[in-house]
Amino acid sequence: MSDAAFRFGNKQTTGNVAEVASSGRVLPAWWLVFKRELSELWIWGKALTLVILYSIYLGVSSYIFAASSELSLIPPKEMVYLTISGAITVGLFVALIIGADSFSGERERATLEALLLTPANRIQIVLGKFLASTSPWLVAMIIAVPYIIVLSQGDAILGTAMLWGAILGTILTPAFTAFGMLVSLWTNSNRTSYFVSLTAYILLLLPVQFPTSAKAGTYGKFLQQLDPLEGADHFLEKIIVSNRTAAELMPFLWTSILFALLIFVVLFFFAAPRLRLDGGVPVKFHRKKNGNVAISVLIALCWLSLSSHPVKALQPAQRGSFHISIDKTSAVAKNGDKIEFHTVVTNTSAQTSPPLIVAMNIINLDSTGDVVDPEDWSPERTQYLTSLKAGQSSNQSWILNTILEGNYMVYMVLIPTPADHRSTSQPVTSEGIHVTVTHFTRLNPGGVLPFSVGIPLLLILIMLGLLRLRNRGIDMGNS
Amino acid sequence: MNFSPDSKSLTPQPDVLVADGLRKIYGRRRALQGLSFSLKSGRVLGFLGPNGAGKTTAIRILTTILEPDSGYFFVDGIGSEEPEEIRRRIGVLPESLGFPKQITAIDFLSYFGQLYGQSANNARRNTLVLLEEVGLQNRAKSLVGTYSRGMRQRLGIARALINNPAVVFLDEPTLGLDPRGQQELLTLVKRIARDRKAGVILCSHLLAEVEGICDDVVILNHGQIVAKGSVAEVVGRVERNMILISLLKIRVPSSFLAKARQILEATPGVQNVSSSDDSESRLEAELINPTGENPDKIYQINNRLLSDLIHAKIPVLSFDMGGRLRDVFLHLTEENIE
Repeated sequence: MSDAAFRFGNKQTTGNVAEVASSGRVLPAWWLVFKRELSELWIWGKALTLVILYSIYLGVSSYIFAASSELSLIPPKEMVYLTISGAITVGLFVALIIGADSFSGERERATLEALLLTPANRIQIVLGKFLASTSPWLVAMIIAVPYIIVLSQGDAILGTAMLWGAILGTILTPAFTAFGMLVSLWTNSNRTSYFVSLTAYILLLLPVQFPTSAKAGTYGKFLQQLDPLEGADHFLEKIIVSNRTAAELMPFLWTSILFALLIFVVLFFFAAPRLRLDGGVPVKFHRKKNGNVAISVLIALCWLSLSSHPVKALQPAQRGSFHISIDKTSAVAKNGDKIEFHTVVTNTSAQTSPPLIVAMNIINLDSTGDVVDPEDWSPERTQYLTSLKAGQSSNQSWILNTILEGNYMVYMVLIPTPADHRSTSQPVTSEGIHVTVTHFTRLNPGGVLPFSVGIPLLLILIMLGLLRLRNRGIDMGNS
Repeated sequence: MNFSPDSKSLTPQPDVLVADGLRKIYGRRRALQGLSFSLKSGRVLGFLGPNGAGKTTAIRILTTILEPDSGYFFVDGIGSEEPEEIRRRIGVLPESLGFPKQITAIDFLSYFGQLYGQSANNARRNTLVLLEEVGLQNRAKSLVGTYSRGMRQRLGIARALINNPAVVFLDEPTLGLDPRGQQELLTLVKRIARDRKAGVILCSHLLAEVEGICDDVVILNHGQIVAKGSVAEVVGRVERNMILISLLKIRVPSSFLAKARQILEATPGVQNVSSSDDSESRLEAELINPTGENPDKIYQINNRLLSDLIHAKIPVLSFDMGGRLRDVFLHLTEENIE
């Protein structure tokens, strides 16, 4: 060929390609990649294994919640929230693991080059893999439904909880899948991809574990809103447990939505068209410098939020005198039983009292026994009374859930509300109830046991069935 | 730029691949320095060079996996600015191609067929034809994970042919195969070029085999072409311009070793004779062809030597004079390869 002919090209082709041009329906590349990946993930791959592990986690945690529910340690609303929150957290982990393997894994197995050598559009390849990688979330959501129904114990929050759980999971899981894929797209080895993805996941998960005081300050709230996981978790908790509306909590959800949008844009519009055989971020990233700045900012925010605890009132003051009586002196109950008792608060002074607070306290009488956390023993251990006129009385009902064998003293404390922030008041104590708790356990609390055992077993059977079905048409002989 | 057409082909074949001035630099290393060559349909081009010569970089550029820093290329009339269209027209067996283990050969090839725009039915039909062509029809429904190395290489070639490409790139297709596997695969390569009228670029270190099946050859060293043309042209051109030293290896029974050595030492053009009287009783010698003499001189020396050994009634167990291409390669690249 002459140089001139070469420069202008020769569009006359050999026609080899045309010979195999198809009659019949040609499927788009993203759909082909999606189907292939789906098959790899579910029939032979890690998705089913991870989902089985996830169902075991749900089974165990639901059993524990249900057992606690029998003791009324956790109200149904809170159990529903904890189950959905746990399902999303573990679902995100599964999504991240699958996403993080998507390209670096193919690079390691040397299967990516064959895919890149096809005329399939790079964005379609990424889209197909992305859709397949998000599939475990759909299954995880379906698996969580029976657990949530059982644990809700008919509470009206069930519908709202499932709706918002599904919405949050459907925002976060694809976002984390995309994040894992993004890391995988830019790295050559699975080890690096997993390390980076999981480190980022743990860093985002950390604020969820911060103590309440750390979340209370201005910076604590700012951190909550800044972290897509913490923001979504806070949103879910307040919607389910505290009956708050979505409208007032939207600031906590925006970060998750923006995070998801940002990751999708970077994955599909920036990284996917530049998908290459070798990994590597196509822009310079001064990791060390940026990492130091990020860590410094994080430490500063934590310190500020932890230090922003409420200021204590200091000055003492006392108004009126009071008496609190109790209708029991002792009680013997089995572990898991409820003990109901009543108190009467009387204003014995000649003047109207300030608003009053009655609080329940429990002490373990056995010096070698566990320290009692009163929160575990009663869903409502503090009651607030309005002012009592001179000589006026007020009745209160209390429920005590026995959760641990042993000897305990239950007593009530009456606290007159201090007049202002510089004054204090003198608490008044009731007589005690000597509570003896004896041994008792139930095997199937709340009827959750069949689900805890049955669903993982069912999934294992499905996995075996799929393998058997797939192996039917396969010659299993070795070379 | 074209190579001489094969004497057997009467009608000139079209260029299915033309590369012009391809350059690629990694940091301070110049991987490719102006690669230009062309390939006609139905011909096999041996793409040779020592490790690090730039072969894999060149192939990755020509298969659109890498972008060149400069230069241009056409595949089947399509310019390098249309990589997706080029990918429709090429088939590639990369040097280290991985295979998913839990998939049957039929499903594997059908999947790729569909990615090339074939309907599911057509892809399956083409798959069955290809599996027969590469001799895997009896293991079509086996999991790829149960395949031997040779079977996987043949499956890789079938994958490279699923779109009936105009150009097929085979990077070290015989790597890790036993001699029979190598022979079968090279026969298959020749058949692909002949029957499918595809241009084949074959990267291999098996120079004797390459010489046997390649029509043309490009030898790369340090990112530059040091020789290109038909095998005969390249060998002839080099032999005319160098003192060609060939290594001759002869094996005779132990009792005839001394006598054979005498004959070798007495033959003009033979130097540095050495022998090892181990269980194989081998003799090694260098054959020298001085500058400007007839390029066939070395073969005349060989013939005379063999004739002398036969006349002396020495049983010749093996007589390996090496390939001409191998000698040319070693001369041009100044590296030893096995």
